[in-house]
Amino acid sequence: MLLEVRDLHVEFHTRDGVAQAVNGVSYGVEAGETLAVLGESGSGKSVTAQAVMGILDMPPGRITGGEVVFRGRDLLRLKEDERRRIRGAEMAMIFQDALSSLNPVLSVGDQLGEMFTVHRGMSRKDARAKAVELMDRVRIPAARERVRQYPHQFSGGMRQRIMIAMALALEPALIIADEPTTALDVTVQAQVMELLAELQREYRMGLILITHDLGVVADVADRIAVMYAGRIVESAPVHDIYKAPAHPYTRGLLDSIPRLDQKGRELYAIKGLPPNLMHIPPGCAFHPRCPLARDVCRTHEPPLYEVSGTRGSACHFWTECLNG
Amino acid sequence: MGRYVVRRLLQMIPVFVGATLLIFLMVNVMGDPIAGLCGERQCDPATAARLEREFGLDEPVWQQYLTYMGNVFTGDFGTAFNGQEVTELMSTAFPVTIRLTLIAILFEIVIGVALGVVTGLRRGRPVDTGVLLITLVVISVPTFVTGLLLQLLLGVKWGWIRPSVSSEATFDELVLPGLVLASVSLAYVTRLTRTSIAENRRSDYVRTAVAKGLPRHRVVVRHLLRNSLIPVVTFIGADIGFLMGGAIVTERIFNIHGVGYQLYQGILRQNTQTVVGFVTVLVLVFLVANLVVDLLYAVLDPRIRYA
Repeated sequence: MLLEVRDLHVEFHTRDGVAQAVNGVSYGVEAGETLAVLGESGSGKSVTAQAVMGILDMPPGRITGGEVVFRGRDLLRLKEDERRRIRGAEMAMIFQDALSSLNPVLSVGDQLGEMFTVHRGMSRKDARAKAVELMDRVRIPAARERVRQYPHQFSGGMRQRIMIAMALALEPALIIADEPTTALDVTVQAQVMELLAELQREYRMGLILITHDLGVVADVADRIAVMYAGRIVESAPVHDIYKAPAHPYTRGLLDSIPRLDQKGRELYAIKGLPPNLMHIPPGCAFHPRCPLARDVCRTHEPPLYEVSGTRGSACHFWTECLNG
Repeated sequence: MGRYVVRRLLQMIPVFVGATLLIFLMVNVMGDPIAGLCGERQCDPATAARLEREFGLDEPVWQQYLTYMGNVFTGDFGTAFNGQEVTELMSTAFPVTIRLTLIAILFEIVIGVALGVVTGLRRGRPVDTGVLLITLVVISVPTFVTGLLLQLLLGVKWGWIRPSVSSEATFDELVLPGLVLASVSLAYVTRLTRTSIAENRRSDYVRTAVAKGLPRHRVVVRHLLRNSLIPVVTFIGADIGFLMGGAIVTERIFNIHGVGYQLYQGILRQNTQTVVGFVTVLVLVFLVANLVVDLLYAVLDPRIRYA
């Protein structure tokens, strides 16, 4: 296993109280595999990723338990300087909004080249040549001329390509992409996603794709982990989930996708609101919004039941859900 | 960029004319320039009339202004009533004040920015609260109090420095006066940098820099500070003009014969030529400093491009 997150717990200490952002998340990614992490805002998908990368703001964040085993080492036990050397070089991250995530006052060539001068000790000239090469790699036209330009001079899609190039620079073993296409025009989304998937195959990287776009997931993911209130509620190979979800929340998500054959009818939406992370409901966190909820759901937190060898569901009534 | 500079230079002309005309008129209204010439006594009417003719004071004000400006552009700032060329006064006063200003600006940049970065990164901690409190005190207490107090303590009581500056006014003599002159601006630079750093610290591009595995000092200096300095540079640039002209108090305390001192003497003795001459140069300094600041903007922030 390239990366294995085990029973990770993250809290945020704020003035109003303690927010339980991640409550015992476990997932793994193999080399060359794509894991899609699905969930609403506040489900803990980004926080988990930031804890893995080691870029969580601490304080207010605090990792209260768990392990992040990457290539056989528990990252949470490493010193900051050792972690820094891994960041960018062995695992890299792509962020949602490329315009705000790139430094506005440095040229893209400087920002790409920095990876090589800092991690590889290259000269500025060699790093600049590498930057041009990378921009070619992610198919930015006229890379040689544009390497001197600044982020604001690029279109949204081109900027996200630069983010991808930056993540890819040192050929890391793992890439975490946090909603990489959400901020883009629909027409550009597919191109950027295709590029990412293609480069991932080529370098045999592990990819964690954080998203709430189920359409993207179906095309590129191998496995899906669905998160709710800081827990994984369902984890399964992508085809199994689309065929028959084993958790009522997953079912709700799939039913919320607008479909052409239901044109004119009211769109389905999961009733209620995501839970307040300072007061997560006892028992199953989803029970106030769940159509299958019974008394046991209010008192007993469901474990991740084994549905099959590769599949798990944190629902007391997963069989019921699976059958329909 | 070139066209922008030309346009800005052209815009300077009306500002320059307006500002100098205003000074010229004010000094004329201020009092009778002849009065200062005859010492304590009133000049007798015949001498006064002769002097007025000699200095061209019987002509209308606008004529006087044009003649004056014409002379200024040939490098002639006129003669003070004691017979000393104003340019001669300038050539001794400006180098001293420029040295003093340089030291003050250096203090602002080095100490102000450093304190701002440290407090901005540790907002709410004891260091931050402490520095913030000190800056508040420095801003609230007038310069003549800070200056006299430091002069008394460091110069007289403990004898670490000479309490007054010699006529050479070398760099090492000007360190304490420079610090006093910089003090209030330094406090502002600290606060400005602190706010800017604290604001940008949580920005996405800083998170990206961390995610790239850059060492902390590189994240702070190259990514965070570079973006946070934009408002600070504006302030410091505008401050150059203020420091050059506004050193009157500091120069008085430490007996420095710079621009502030000469201006003060000129006003006191109703020495029209000196006052107008010095202020004219200061107006130019202001204008150039402002232009440089605007051009620095484009260097610091490539999103700003002047067409």
